[in-house]
Order: sequence, then C-alpha cells, then structure tokens
Amino acid sequence: MADSSNDPFALWRKMLGEMEKGFNTFANQAMTSPQFSKAMNQAGGATVGAQKQLGNLMERYLLAMNMPSRAQMVDMAERLQSIEGHLNDIKTLLQQMSANAAARPQPAATAALKPPRTKRPSQQPSGEAKQPSGEQK
Amino acid sequence: MSALAELDLASVQDRIQTEVQRAIQRSIKGVEYFSTSGPTLGSTPKDILHSRGTMNLYHYRPMAKEVYRVPVLIVMATTNRGYILDLVPGQSFIEFLLKRGYDVYMLDWIPPKPEERCLGMEDYVLDFIPDCIRRVQQDSGEQDISVIGYCFGGVLSLLYGSIFPDGPMRNLICFTTPIDFRKLELFSNFADRRYFDVDHLVDSVGNVPPEMILSSFEMLRPASRVVGQVQLWENIWNDEYVKSFRMFDRWATDTLPLAGEYFRAITKDLLWDNKLYHGTMSVGGRPADLANIKVPILHAVAEHDHIVPYDAAKHLIAKVGSNDKEEVMLKGGHVSLVAGANAVKRLWPKLDSWLGGRSI
Repeated sequence: MADSSNDPFALWRKMLGEMEKGFNTFANQAMTSPQFSKAMNQAGGATVGAQKQLGNLMERYLLAMNMPSRAQMVDMAERLQSIEGHLNDIKTLLQQMSANAAARPQPAATAALKPPRTKRPSQQPSGEAKQPSGEQK
Repeated sequence: MSALAELDLASVQDRIQTEVQRAIQRSIKGVEYFSTSGPTLGSTPKDILHSRGTMNLYHYRPMAKEVYRVPVLIVMATTNRGYILDLVPGQSFIEFLLKRGYDVYMLDWIPPKPEERCLGMEDYVLDFIPDCIRRVQQDSGEQDISVIGYCFGGVLSLLYGSIFPDGPMRNLICFTTPIDFRKLELFSNFADRRYFDVDHLVDSVGNVPPEMILSSFEMLRPASRVVGQVQLWENIWNDEYVKSFRMFDRWATDTLPLAGEYFRAITKDLLWDNKLYHGTMSVGGRPADLANIKVPILHAVAEHDHIVPYDAAKHLIAKVGSNDKEEVMLKGGHVSLVAGANAVKRLWPKLDSWLGGRSI
C-alpha cells in the first residue's frame, strides 16, 4: 500500500477533516460575539413577526372564504386522535374485564413476561459488540 | 531507487484499482440509497404502559430469565426521540440492559400539540415524571426505581430528585447533563437576553418549532452537515458505514418541538439566570436544590462533547448531597457516548457494573 503521505485520497480526506475543524472553530468564534447574537435575533424576530402577521392574515382570508384554517384542521385531527385513544382505552378495559371474567390461569407466555426479580450481579464481563461509530450531533 | 519506484507504482495502481471499484460501487449503492429506506429503529419489543399528550411511557419486554429487583426508568431528553438508545438489534442500549437483566421503562416524548404550548417545567417535573414513577411502581410491584436521564432528561431527573429527596428514586444516572448553563457558550449567546426576546417568540409561535431547535444544534458545528454528506458519498460503497450514517442522521434530524412555556422557563431560569448552578432553581414554587439529592449517583460525561461541554457538566457531582457519587469521563461526543461503537465498549459496561450491585 502507498504511504498515506503520498496517497492523494488519504490527503483529500485529511484536508476535508482539517477544513471541517477549521471552519467550525472559526464559525464558533464568530458566533460567540454579541454582534452575532444581535444580528441573528433581529433577523429571527423579524421572521417570527412576519410569520405571525401572515398567519393572522391567512386566518382572516380563510374565514372570509368560509374554509377551515390549518389550525382548525389540526385541532380536528387531534380530537379524532383523542377519540381513538379513548376507544383504545375502552377496548383494553373490555379485554381486561373479559379476561377477568373468564378467570383463566395466566398463560405461560404472559408469565414469561414477568421474570422473577432475583437477579444478582455476575462477574461476567460484558460482550463487546462490533458496530460502526457515528457522531452526527 | 528503481525498485522503490516500481513498488510505489504497483501500490498506486492498486489504489487506483480500488478507487475505480469503489466508484462503480458508489453508483450502484447510490441508487440503492435513494430507493430504500434506512434500517428500522427502536424495534426492541415494548408495550405502551401509558400515553398522555406529549408523554409516552414504554415498558420493554424482559429478555433475561431473571431481572434485578429495582426497575430502571429512562427519562429521554425533550428535544429528541428515545430510539437513539434503541437503534437496531446488537446496537441497542435498551437491548443491552434487558439482556443484562434489567427491567427497563422509558419516558419518551412525542411532539407537543399546539394546545400543549402551556406545558411548563412544573408539568414535566411535578406531573409527568411522578406519574411515570407511580405507573412503574404499579407495573413492577417495586417501590424503588433507578432513573437514567440523558442530556436534558438528566436535568429533569435532577429537578425531580431534588424536589422529592425521600424517594422513591433509588439510584440516579445522568448522561451528559448540563448544570452551568453559562458554559453552554453558544446557546447562551444565541439566547443573549439583550437581543433574544423569548416572550415575543413564544407568544407568537406557541410551541418552538423543531426546525429552530435543529438549527441551533447544527450551528454548533456548521460545517459538519456538508462534510457529513461528502463523507457519505465517499463511503457509500460501505454498507456498514451507510447503515450507521442513516441511523444517526435520521435521529439527529428527528428533532421535537418544545412546549412554549417550557422553553420560556428553560431560557429564563437556566440560560439567563443559571439557577440550577446557583442553587436558586424552583419548579412550581418548590425549591430544587441539588444538595437535596442523597441517592447514589453516576454522571457520565463525554470528552469531546460539543453540545454539553465538560465545563457545563462538571459541577454536578460536587453539588449533589450524595455520599455515593461518581463521575466518569469517557472518550466520545454527546451522542457517541450513549450510542455507537464507543458506547458498546465504554459506557454500557461501565453503567452495568455500577448499577447492577445497586439494583438488588
């Protein structure tokens, strides 16, 4: 294999890594300044204000057109989800009542879900699984 | 001299051949990449024990023939999904715990709905966590519970533990948990009280959108996303690399919105007034002094954590009132501390050896 100092692909990767590190460091230094915070928050504040005004305007427009707004649609969807949740709760309750009424002995599979709480620490070392690394955040 | 030149020539030829093969593989795998979805994440068998609004409480089905007496409740950070701790079989922290004989529960979050914008810190600390603790007690039949908090889940667990020092929390494990919020320098600067009008933001948008949370995380390393894409293209011939990339990338971009009032409290109490560090924090009018915490505590921090740097996390052990306390610094970053190859070799076995003896 070629020496990595002569390998253009290795050099490219090294350069990429260095560029990333350098740019991140430079940007981080710039972002710690009060000027950056001021500019960022001025821009962000203006965007938020504009978004709110646009939202209000759209709301009035949709009302005039006799159409539901997104918020109303989301609200309806949430109400449906809530009803579904209640139905699931009722279904679970009915299943439990049915199971209790039948007074069946607990099946082995269910019993296996509740193993005894008797575990003691062992001296066995933990296995070292092999897996790729990742650090995105 | 000529022999050396021949050797170099041969190795260069090999290198070019390898690169050509990889280039071909890149084309094939590149098409595959865009035509397939990533691996299924969070697939360890579990039951939803309770679901209410933004809160989901899972119980993972045991995998060992016998389990430790004390169950474990994991409190996930409110900005991200819990499946980072349950990636795929063989690379899942949850699966590791289950196989090591722990009875595992997780308090995970789903996006708060617009009407949940009023959820505040007190809802998380005085309602959601105690509710989950009660349900874990009922389900397991045990009074004692070990709590594991990841990142801001650690902050919530600490607040809970300091307000309820008499139990039932038996052990506390925090992963990369910030205490001195002034040392989260970039976040502090983004939220500089002279320029950041948190009231205007929350009053305007309600819940803080996930894009804003994601942007603030990505701004900590602005070049990394672009470089990550270049590296993905370079390594797209490598199935393991692609699988890993997809898992972590999906999780990192799957950011949750934050409830408006909760975000307001984080900004004012923690980022502006640094109350947790100064010991002046209170939740719902109840003082939350870390010195109240007396249970055994382990704090795992990452050497290269760019989100919660060590300077922000290092005060935890000094501030809690426990006699049995330990800080462990491990190589890795904010995420690779808990998931990935580093975690498998470093954090997971450490946690098991620390917690096992304290779970009987």
